[in-house]
Amino acid sequence: MTIAQHDHVQLLGSSVSRRSFLYQVAATACAAGTLSLRDLVTLEAAELKKQGKHLVVLWMAGGPSQFECFDPKTGTDSGGETKSIKTSVSGIQIAEGWDVTAKTMQDIALIRSMTNKEGSHPRATYQLHTGYAPTGSVKHPAFGCSLAKELANPDFDLPAVVSVGPTQGSAFLGVNFEPFVVDQPGSLPQNTRVVTDTDRYRRRLGVLNQLEDEFASRGGQQVVENHRQLYAKTAKMVTSSNLKAFQIDDEPQALKDRYGNSDFGRGCMLARRLVETGVTFVEVSMRGRMGNWDTHQDNFDRTRGLVADVDPGFGTLVSDLKDRGLLEKTVVLWIGEFGRTPKINPRGGRDHYPRVFNAAIAGGGIKGGQVIGASSKDGSDIVDNPVTPNDLFCTVCQALSVDAAKENMSPLGRPMKIVDGGTPVKKLFG
Amino acid sequence: MKIRQAVWSCLLGLCFISHARAEDSAARVAGQVDQAILKELKAAKIEPAKLANDEDFLRRVSIDLAGAVPTAREVTLFGLNTDPAKRTKVIDQLLASDEYAANWARYWRDVILLRATNMRARLVNDPFLDWMTDALKQNRHWDKIATDLLTATGDVRENGKTALFFAHEGDANEVAGEVSRIFMGIQIQCANCHNHPWDRWKREQFHEIAAFFPRVTVRRTDPNNLGQWEVVSFDARTDRTNVRANIMANADGIFRFADRNRDGKLSKDEAENTPLSRLFDRILENGDKNKDGMISVAEFKEMPPPPEQPGRGNAEHFMPDLNNPASQGTKINPKFFLTSTHTVRDLDDMDRREWFAEELTSAKNEWFSKAIVNRIWGELTGQGFYMPIDDIGPDRKCSNPDALESLAKGFTEHGYDLKWLFRTIALTQTYQRQVQARVLSEDTPAFASATPTRLRGDQLYGSLIKVLGITEPANQGPRFGQAAGANRFGPRNPREAFNAVFGFDPSTPQDDITGNVPQALFLMNSPQVASQVRAEGNTRLADLLKKYSDDNDAFNELYLMVLAREPSAKELEICRSYVKQINNRREAFEDLMWSLLNSSEFLSKR
Repeated sequence: MTIAQHDHVQLLGSSVSRRSFLYQVAATACAAGTLSLRDLVTLEAAELKKQGKHLVVLWMAGGPSQFECFDPKTGTDSGGETKSIKTSVSGIQIAEGWDVTAKTMQDIALIRSMTNKEGSHPRATYQLHTGYAPTGSVKHPAFGCSLAKELANPDFDLPAVVSVGPTQGSAFLGVNFEPFVVDQPGSLPQNTRVVTDTDRYRRRLGVLNQLEDEFASRGGQQVVENHRQLYAKTAKMVTSSNLKAFQIDDEPQALKDRYGNSDFGRGCMLARRLVETGVTFVEVSMRGRMGNWDTHQDNFDRTRGLVADVDPGFGTLVSDLKDRGLLEKTVVLWIGEFGRTPKINPRGGRDHYPRVFNAAIAGGGIKGGQVIGASSKDGSDIVDNPVTPNDLFCTVCQALSVDAAKENMSPLGRPMKIVDGGTPVKKLFG
Repeated sequence: MKIRQAVWSCLLGLCFISHARAEDSAARVAGQVDQAILKELKAAKIEPAKLANDEDFLRRVSIDLAGAVPTAREVTLFGLNTDPAKRTKVIDQLLASDEYAANWARYWRDVILLRATNMRARLVNDPFLDWMTDALKQNRHWDKIATDLLTATGDVRENGKTALFFAHEGDANEVAGEVSRIFMGIQIQCANCHNHPWDRWKREQFHEIAAFFPRVTVRRTDPNNLGQWEVVSFDARTDRTNVRANIMANADGIFRFADRNRDGKLSKDEAENTPLSRLFDRILENGDKNKDGMISVAEFKEMPPPPEQPGRGNAEHFMPDLNNPASQGTKINPKFFLTSTHTVRDLDDMDRREWFAEELTSAKNEWFSKAIVNRIWGELTGQGFYMPIDDIGPDRKCSNPDALESLAKGFTEHGYDLKWLFRTIALTQTYQRQVQARVLSEDTPAFASATPTRLRGDQLYGSLIKVLGITEPANQGPRFGQAAGANRFGPRNPREAFNAVFGFDPSTPQDDITGNVPQALFLMNSPQVASQVRAEGNTRLADLLKKYSDDNDAFNELYLMVLAREPSAKELEICRSYVKQINNRREAFEDLMWSLLNSSEFLSKR
């Protein structure tokens, strides 16, 4: 077996549990006499710090206009007709319509100086999900999937990664970190009810496992190995009592109302339930009644409708997580592909503008109630503290105690960092 | 009369000869390919896998060419057939079947439309399938198919050839990227925004391809109907750029003529009955810098150019200025980066597109032939000469370039005859070898064995309904776009619902296709499968158990039915002991059938 193949098998194999990892490190190091007891304790502490951490990404598909979100330019040509409103933090103003988020501003940090070069939807979507520009030669794992590999408890019985709406996959990290995609947030996912009684279901899985040996011995060993993992994982999920986390019926009506009667609002509520249950990474994609944020036409009318869906979901998610004591361990990141042009085009729309855009981030020890960076008066440039996507990803890694420079081995033996380059935004940590 | 007969027999003879020659050439090239591969394996001291047995070969070739597993009966008869040419004959039969055309039309639909940038591309789904199925049935050659797709115009609901443009809303950049990827395997779209880091293509070269397509226009045929679109050529008479250029060139004159009160500014009243009247509100909106409700000559001349609207027809293609994305950028003339050295200006839309198609499909462009050879070879054997299959070119690593060269040369010499290509590949020993796990190393020679690959959504669906004995409903449901609301592009029938879960972009490397939880859930728990895995009522399993009272016979039949092979001694042993353990024949067989349908082997080509 070549080294590359060996690594591949290891990658696809079930994750080494933390305990056995510590054991291995300790055993090797003790044998070599290089690790003291104190080192061991420190190592364990670092590992413990990761326990129970989560990431929720609210994906603003289409590229939200910073002028109609968190960087309004009221009274300028660029700002158009959009007014600004006050927030719970004096000195921070955001665009009108974001009333719920405004009330939660003490827990949210805004980044008004996101900057990037990628101006096409699929390419920017890929980059803002993986931290890498798309190339033909290798498919990069989504950033959240890489985090799940570091943070997820391998014994947990729901998928480590759940996405409400389409997203990027786990690529070579394998089926254990592949996003489980939910189409209808709030109800039990399709086909999760076992059709026979559980005992018989287990018998079936048992005989299936036995019969798989034949194909494995005839050249299909890798396929069979992947399949076994997938089936073990799926079986664990469908027989789990945690499955009910997907159903939101038993939530109090008042809280449902706060999240908003929209797919996005229900997606945010589902995200909270999943985080509460132990899912490591949840992504909620904006798919509203008003389409997505790609407002080349009728920017102002359309963003009003989009904000009406996103604001209650985002604001309530942050405050609900806080009320339950989960915000300390959960990073909530609001972001889209890019921003939109300062210039309002003849169709009343705004076009793609990667040079300046917004992100909003809360939880995980991030200091809320502050603004990072600034754009120029007309919004066409960044005048303070530019933040690249990889800076942002490094920041998320730091908040979740993950080493952004950690390398995973790609199938062709090329090591790949979780985040390639970038520096955490220090100011976000107080 | 005699002469006429002689001519006829002569013609028939010619037909016969040319047909025989074509067959010979496929076998000859297949031999060259095998030799090139064996040579490399020998040098590396690697023993190639043995040829697959009849069961495995028949299942593989049936899935590859006709899109579904063979029936139990077909497997048995093929095994009993003693004709030494039976493999060649079955390849020819499958290539002549209607299923071949349907299977590969679906493949190309996925290649083109799964990358679509807008959901409404679904509107062209059915027309594309109809057209492509028909083209493949008639064995329309690949250069003709490419030209059809590149020169299409018309209503997308009637002309499936418009699929490629409609999938990307006619956006010249997207189209240029996809055309290069699909027809040449060259991922030049990375050069859209920057010079490629490890390719030789420059940004200008990408935009020179895009410059063949700016005049393609995708628009609604009826502004009030969201579901009616057409691909047309840009019409110079309404060319906004030209109108603007004309006005700008004569700005002073027009101003003098229109500015009746000679105050140096135009009001709305003054603009009436001038060439500016229709546009005056827009001009005010964009050009009135001092907001006095009037336009001065200076303000007029400084007006920013109108934004380029991708896919809505533009006279010319502009390469954006990366430092100033709001500006118009540099005008680029069309030029084919591989073969032509000159730039041709001022061609209308159809001239540009036809010229591009000619350059693309020219025998001088080796990548046109290599791209599809690599793609089909990769799809059939599980591993392309270049991987991923749509990222090839002079700066990429090719496994066994000699073998690829033989195939590409033969394919070009046969006028890009697709059936010749399928036949040649299927005839190689390399294709017919047993499967072995993929060797994940850059240094080991490729193609010592076949590699197991996952069935595409349509192949799996076709196999599943064949195994379960279900007839696919003829009614495909309402046309796309007719139903109201967010679901107007959702699945309309069982096949599409199945594809929504099991489908994948066929250009995806096999390593990335490992299956997912919803797929496992469907096969484990869906009512569609569960209702068929029952040993009672009107199901295949119930029939089978009635027909074969001996358990061993029933095991054999069950395996033939689901996996198109007989069980091994070990598998028989597992089955026997399971039936004994459950002590309920019906229940035990239901569990066994469930297991086979849920096995990785059922999902894979072996």
